Amino acid sequence: MSILSVRDLATHFHTRDGVTRAVDGVSFDLAAGETLGIVGESGCGKSVTALSIMRLIPPETARITPGSVVEFEGRELTRLSEEQMREIRGKSISMIFQEPMTSLNPVLTVGTQIAENVWRHTGIDKRQARERAKEMLDLVGIADSQRRLDEYPHQLSGGMRQRVMIAIALSCDPRVLIADEPTTALDVTIQAQILDLMLELKEKLGTAIIMITHDLGVVAETTQRVVVMYAGRKVEEAPVGELFARPLHPYTHGLMRAIPRLDIDAETAGRRPRLKEIPGMVPRLDKPIMGCAFAPRCDFATERCRVEAPPLEDHGKGHLAACWEVARVQTVAA
Amino acid sequence: MTAYIIRRLFATLPVMAVVTVFVFFLLRLAPGDPAAIIAGDDATAADLEAVRAKLGLNLPIHEQFGLWIWRLAQGDLGVSIFSDLPVTRLIAQRVEPTLALTLSTLFVAVSLAIPVGVIAAWQARKLADRAVMVFAVLGFAIPGFLAAYILIWIFAVKLQLLPVQGYRPIGQGFWPFVEGLILPSIALGVTYMALIARITRASMLEVLSQDYIRTANSKGLATKRVLLLHALKNAAVPIVTVIGIGIALLISGVVITETVFNIPGLGRLTVDAVLKHDYPIVQGLIMVFAAAKVLVNLMIDISYAFLDPRIRY
Ligand SMILES: Nc1ncnc2c1ncn2[C@@H]1O[C@H](COP(=O)(O)OP(=O)(O)O)[C@@H](O)[C@H]1O
Ligand code: SF4
Ligand SMILES: [Mg+2]
Repeated sequence: MSILSVRDLATHFHTRDGVTRAVDGVSFDLAAGETLGIVGESGCGKSVTALSIMRLIPPETARITPGSVVEFEGRELTRLSEEQMREIRGKSISMIFQEPMTSLNPVLTVGTQIAENVWRHTGIDKRQARERAKEMLDLVGIADSQRRLDEYPHQLSGGMRQRVMIAIALSCDPRVLIADEPTTALDVTIQAQILDLMLELKEKLGTAIIMITHDLGVVAETTQRVVVMYAGRKVEEAPVGELFARPLHPYTHGLMRAIPRLDIDAETAGRRPRLKEIPGMVPRLDKPIMGCAFAPRCDFATERCRVEAPPLEDHGKGHLAACWEVARVQTVAA
Repeated sequence: MTAYIIRRLFATLPVMAVVTVFVFFLLRLAPGDPAAIIAGDDATAADLEAVRAKLGLNLPIHEQFGLWIWRLAQGDLGVSIFSDLPVTRLIAQRVEPTLALTLSTLFVAVSLAIPVGVIAAWQARKLADRAVMVFAVLGFAIPGFLAAYILIWIFAVKLQLLPVQGYRPIGQGFWPFVEGLILPSIALGVTYMALIARITRASMLEVLSQDYIRTANSKGLATKRVLLLHALKNAAVPIVTVIGIGIALLISGVVITETVFNIPGLGRLTVDAVLKHDYPIVQGLIMVFAAAKVLVNLMIDISYAFLDPRIRY
């Protein structure tokens, strides 16, 4: 049963230089307690998708276009008033961000930053909220929590700050947690610890997670289902086992070739190896794209790809892909 | 924190020492013979000698300096040449109007400028913001004395709502005291209001684009809390700095305002003492003004540590 349902979400930035179609017709469902991965290179519209769900996109330039639907527990979020939306943020849907160094307020104590979320959304008083903040620090594995409550973010390491962000996000038992590249800015060992923590808490609390990452390794470790995004669109979607067993889109193939293998990883001792990156670059989104957006970088591209955009098609076992050459891609890959 | 405050306090000593030495030599190294200037054109040699003796100018310079320091340490700033009254008492009599005017101006400027600057940043590039910016440019361009005459003309002469000039000590009742301060405070405050509003807007705009503001919004916090706690506290250091500079300028600016509004404060005392070459009073005033500025500086430094936990010297 789906608690969050995104249909034809399109978010465009209107600037002096024109219209950037950062997200251009994305749909997916999130089931209760499920972990859904959204994967794609930098600039593919993953963060804008997440921020659009939360309605935290910059109001001066960004517009969620009419026709977009974000349904959460039966309510259409794009139609809610700002005030109603604030009731949902931090309580029912919460979010953690990529940069633990800048995501916490430098002049407020850790305790305040956790507790304010609790007393904003529950009736309890400030003393109880502080108690709750301490419990949350214990839960996310920060030792000496009583003392940490009165510390400031600059007194914590990057990994600990991300733990604090998780503590804030989970402090009101949200139904959905959106994690936007939560480990990208961290060292490899800390990355693993934070991912383990998230999985453990998800088991304990039953929160559904949208795990946004550019790293298929993270997807393999944490998710049940995956959406692959390219140039503001969903190009493939499948249960995680199915995706790794039978990738249908050339872009997904490219991403898989770029996954660092563990044995090599150990040799290079912490340095992130950049293996077989997909040649070329993510296209700019400020002009309409003709045909398949991946065509300039695709080994399988034909004349047709350059003029006609491929529709998303169902290939069985919950596997969707938007590519004209799926059959050929599969034979070559096999 | 206490250790930090004590360290800052000690750091003010060298500055005050330099001021002291400067003030001492100001009189001795000034061009011309101070005694001759004071005694007047048709003074006899005996008159000059009397003035020198009174100022202590007949002693060797190191003894003069020793005496100056020794008296200063006891809070003695010397005696006025013309009225024979102790300088400390003359200054003390005039402190209240100046202090009242400075504080009320500051209150008017800060209490209006900060909300206005915050709203402008929040409504960036919308109507409210543009209105504030026009006001800020105008307010900064209009000289204080011009604003003063315009305000006097409208509120005192035409509408007759407020007194034209003069100062009522707080001892004569709170409302008359406040009435007398309204126009001078606004006249003197417009410039600072404009300045503080601008810096508040700029500093807030920068802070509002930071990641932690997005985090605050992702918790669904009320706009008021995001603006006034999460953003303003981060934006505060530049604002407080400008307020500090404002106070320093205000202290110097009282000379003009007190003249325009006929307020018997330190500014007027300064003008009178300079015109009459009453050097001991001028010296005493420089010491007091310098001490006031050092004190303001100290308070600003201490407030930084309260506002930003990362600041530790
Ligand atoms: N504030 C913004 N103003 C204009 N364009 C933006 C803004 N934020 C993102 N974009 C554009 O939207 C696209 C997608 O960005 P984003 O969602 O951040 O990518 P990802 O998270 O997948 O790396 C990019 O092309 C980017 O240039
Ligand atoms: S549609 Fe064509 S260009 Fe696009 S991914 Fe498939 S084969 Fe490549
Ligand atoms: Mg991103």
